Amino acid sequence: MDAWILLPVILPVLAGVILLLSLAFDKKKNGGGQPDREPGAEELHSLHGYVAAVLAVSAALALAAALSGEHSVTLFELLKGIPVYFHVDDISRLFAIVISIVWLVVAFYSFVYMKHEGKEQRFYGFYLIVYGVLMALSFAGNLVTMYLFYEIMTLTSMPLVLHNGSREAIMAALKYLFYSMCGAYLGLFGIFFLYKYCDTLTFTAGGTLNPGLAQGNVTILLIAVFGMLVGFGAKAGMLPLHAWLPAAHPVAPSPASAVLSGVIAKAGVLAIIRVVFYVVGPDFLRGTWVQTAWMTLTLLTVFMGSMMAFREPVFKKRLAYSTVSQVSYILFGLSVLSPVGMTGALLHVVFHMVIKCALFLTAGIFIFQCGETRVEQFRGIGKQMPKTLWCYTFASLALIGIPPTSGFVSKWYLAQGALEAGVGVFGIVGPAVLLVSALLTAGYLLPITTSGFFPGGIVKHVKAEEKQDSNLEPSLEMLIPLAILAALAVLLGLFPNPLINFASRIAASVM
Amino acid sequence: MEFVQNFPFFSILLSLFSGPLCSVIGGKAARRINLVVITVVGAMSASVLHFTIRSGEAYVYLMGHFPAPWGNEIRVGVLEALMALFFCVVMFLSMVGGSLERALEIEAEKENLYYVMVNLLLSSLLALIYTNDLFTAYVFVEINTISACGLIMIRQNGRTIEAATRYMIMSLLGSGLLLLGICFLYDMTGHLLMSNIKEQVQILHATGDYHISLLVTVSLMSVGIAIKSALYPFHAWLPDAYGYSTLSSAAILSSLVSKGYIFLLVKIFYRVIGFDIVRDSKIVNILFAFGVVGMIMGSVSAIKEGNIRRMIAYSSVAQIGYIYMGFGIGTTAGVIASLYHILSHAATKSLLFVAASGITDASGESTSFFDLTGAGYRNKLAGVAFTVGSLSMVGFPMFSGFISKLLFAQAAVDSAYYKMLPALIALAVSTILNAVYFMKTVIRIYTPADREEIQRRGFRNVTMADQKAKSAALVCFIILNMALGLCSEPVVRLLSEGLQMFA
Amino acid sequence: MNFANLASNYEEAVAMLLFVIGFSNLLLQKNLIRKIIGLNIMDTAVYLFLALKGYIAGRKAPIVVDGVQSVKAYVNPIPSGLVLTGIVVSVSVSALMLALTIRLYRRYHTLDLDEITTRLKKEGL
Repeated sequence: MDAWILLPVILPVLAGVILLLSLAFDKKKNGGGQPDREPGAEELHSLHGYVAAVLAVSAALALAAALSGEHSVTLFELLKGIPVYFHVDDISRLFAIVISIVWLVVAFYSFVYMKHEGKEQRFYGFYLIVYGVLMALSFAGNLVTMYLFYEIMTLTSMPLVLHNGSREAIMAALKYLFYSMCGAYLGLFGIFFLYKYCDTLTFTAGGTLNPGLAQGNVTILLIAVFGMLVGFGAKAGMLPLHAWLPAAHPVAPSPASAVLSGVIAKAGVLAIIRVVFYVVGPDFLRGTWVQTAWMTLTLLTVFMGSMMAFREPVFKKRLAYSTVSQVSYILFGLSVLSPVGMTGALLHVVFHMVIKCALFLTAGIFIFQCGETRVEQFRGIGKQMPKTLWCYTFASLALIGIPPTSGFVSKWYLAQGALEAGVGVFGIVGPAVLLVSALLTAGYLLPITTSGFFPGGIVKHVKAEEKQDSNLEPSLEMLIPLAILAALAVLLGLFPNPLINFASRIAASVM
Repeated sequence: MEFVQNFPFFSILLSLFSGPLCSVIGGKAARRINLVVITVVGAMSASVLHFTIRSGEAYVYLMGHFPAPWGNEIRVGVLEALMALFFCVVMFLSMVGGSLERALEIEAEKENLYYVMVNLLLSSLLALIYTNDLFTAYVFVEINTISACGLIMIRQNGRTIEAATRYMIMSLLGSGLLLLGICFLYDMTGHLLMSNIKEQVQILHATGDYHISLLVTVSLMSVGIAIKSALYPFHAWLPDAYGYSTLSSAAILSSLVSKGYIFLLVKIFYRVIGFDIVRDSKIVNILFAFGVVGMIMGSVSAIKEGNIRRMIAYSSVAQIGYIYMGFGIGTTAGVIASLYHILSHAATKSLLFVAASGITDASGESTSFFDLTGAGYRNKLAGVAFTVGSLSMVGFPMFSGFISKLLFAQAAVDSAYYKMLPALIALAVSTILNAVYFMKTVIRIYTPADREEIQRRGFRNVTMADQKAKSAALVCFIILNMALGLCSEPVVRLLSEGLQMFA
Repeated sequence: MNFANLASNYEEAVAMLLFVIGFSNLLLQKNLIRKIIGLNIMDTAVYLFLALKGYIAGRKAPIVVDGVQSVKAYVNPIPSGLVLTGIVVSVSVSALMLALTIRLYRRYHTLDLDEITTRLKKEGL
């Protein structure tokens, strides 16, 4: 029995539920209706210990499950012929490993950060649950199981967005819910069609579409697949269902926005990969209007996202638009349906996850230490917190794609994939848009570094004067996770070969 | 013969006679008797279910020991027992959940009369489920109508009386058609017992005699029952009846009464006519068309509605459209999907009604949409329950609605092309529309309200301790819903087994 | 279509005609009392139909007074039983409808259902 691979799913979910339940129980004991009591330092310590232990154990289990060969387990039959089925394959491995690492690192960061947001216990409760659900999503072995956990992820990650309970946060969370659900329904109806025309909904590299059945129903299948692309694209911030991202990120606590845009947006990518390469099969889409429309949408999103980010003064919102743009890089890489493009896309999944988390953690440090959210307030900030800003700079360079950082590698593959794939005019337009967008990325990320280090004249930082201290550097607990992620962003670019081999192996297996 | 086999007969008689009993005792005692009767009937149905699953076949129970063509019969299989058990559970929870409203909205000296009606309703539902005699079915259809009418008008205001009148008129039109159809069948076959009619109908069908008459008969009965179960466009009475009657009435009416008629229709299709003949008669195509239109139009009306209870009522119109759409697909898979949806909708709709009342309790009894702002914080459990119900309605995985959507879609994709497309498109459009109005409401009840506004209007917080009965009912409903959503496989298996031994 | 059968089965035709008259009255009349009359016509039509089906010319009602004669001597008693049951049902339904009508009339002093609906909307209840 391979049922133990479900441990990294069950353990964090259970642990999270226990946290939430004990919270409710505490409230009752203190006489419900009273405002939440702030936990003492002692309590916080044990809470952090608990969360770290659970996460570490589950991450270890997840890694073990991912690295120890093929596993599969059928939980129970949801309906006749539709089991809840888990299977660990290469894509699962990639996502599970990276998500585990990032999730753990961000957790350590949030131990300090969440002190000023309050209601830590609730946050960690949901944080753990979402981790479990994400693992289930990565390990899901058929389309219906994936859909199941996709929806559950939407629901359980919503509390992370509405954490501070303000009106904006709640509206943003509901917007997130609404967009995700509408998107997921489009996906669901695609699943209904695929159920008929595919041999099986179990993920199989290269697709399971039955050509005999599909004959004569091509149009309707294409429409269904396009619906799925748009629907699951909602989570990945693809046009036209991208609007929840810029709304949700600024209001969520920084660790939450880090994982939202770093990890959860990737769940949409994962879903699209599963649909296109593991159920429908890339050959079916190649050269159809769906591919054209998909490429157009992704390129539009790439460009639009960068433009919006460029014009956006609120830092976290700027990063959110940047996510919109960068995730569509990945989708573009997938949409050209060539092995090289897909390699680039998978690389960019990993790199963007690391980089975007690093950037959001920086934004969090700025908020935590100075309480500043707007870009123009960051002038001269490099004098007070040089280490943070250096980390930020490295991550930015990686996102822009300056060699030898990681972003360069993935973008190189993306552009090459587009050129090679034989997609006509998109072979030229695609790389051009990517290039323009990279310039825009530089335009919206680097000014913070330059004006931070070289404010032009002496700018006394208000906060620094208050504190009578020119050093605003955060504590090590916050700095180290950031540094790890920034270092990863660079190092993965310096030694990309194992990852490239792994990604191209996946790409070769499905095409 | 084993003793358990008497239970269906006992449960009908028990609920039938407890009705008149309630009319001579006080309200409080009547309430207790009612709950006890529902529990006992539920327990008996459960043991019958157990018995039929074990024996693996349906059995016939002779009333008064007269054999087949003369006597009156009860026929019990897995499907019947399952439905009876489920109806009892939903009715029990609805009665418990609505006890607070009943105390407020029903005059004290009339309270026992309410339980007369509920007991009669239960007995007529059970009779509709179990009987094997077409004319008995007709009589209990009328009893069902009368007691449902009583449930609507027990809360005395202009709206409910008007709604009851409209309900009666539509119902009488429907039962007139049904009765005429039954008379035609009797005329053609000379039998009233369903199984005997079917034999004769098969012969008639094979020889080709009375072809048109048979067609007319099937359509008369289908249309009659469609009218009674508020298939679009015969739904005009429904929003008022569900929207303004007392809570337990609304929950029972929406989740059980219309379902009883629909179950009778399934019975007519399978046991009286034979499903292949029905399918060949093209009647199903008409039901399909009306079902599809109902799915869309019900949702559209719900979107336009500003009163939360009427909105939920309109959503029933859409859901009944789903059920008829399933019949209309004309395959066994479609019928199973519809049967599952009967269960799922019964569990969800009564949950929604009870939750909505919890929400309005926290909003100064106002059902208007804008007054509900932030009600999810003032009554936490009701907010959560309403969210669960909404998610189930829009087909969120883990909840029952998802499974019925899945079953409908499976049935649709396996059917003929000209039905697959409309069915799937209607499913998609209706799901999106459902999402629009249910999520709109969820967003509304979780939008933080102005503190001063709350103070000024005097909205109070409602905790679980204030409304123990309602909270317990809500929790049970949520569990029921999730159980249906997660452990659907055994339920679907029971349904399909039951359908096999049904004919 | 063979219209010759229509003439020979004129009783059934009349029953159907009555049913349609009753049905459309119940459906289309605005006045509640007329609706109830329509309901009764409709039900009566069905009973007429049933009674016709149960009657066989030249046979007696199955009331045994001087020993059982052959089966062929009697008409089928079941339709008569059905008619009786049906009459009971329709009486109770009519009574309920009339009670509702009285309630509505006391409240709104009109028997027009649409009028009542408009007034209810105005009340805003």
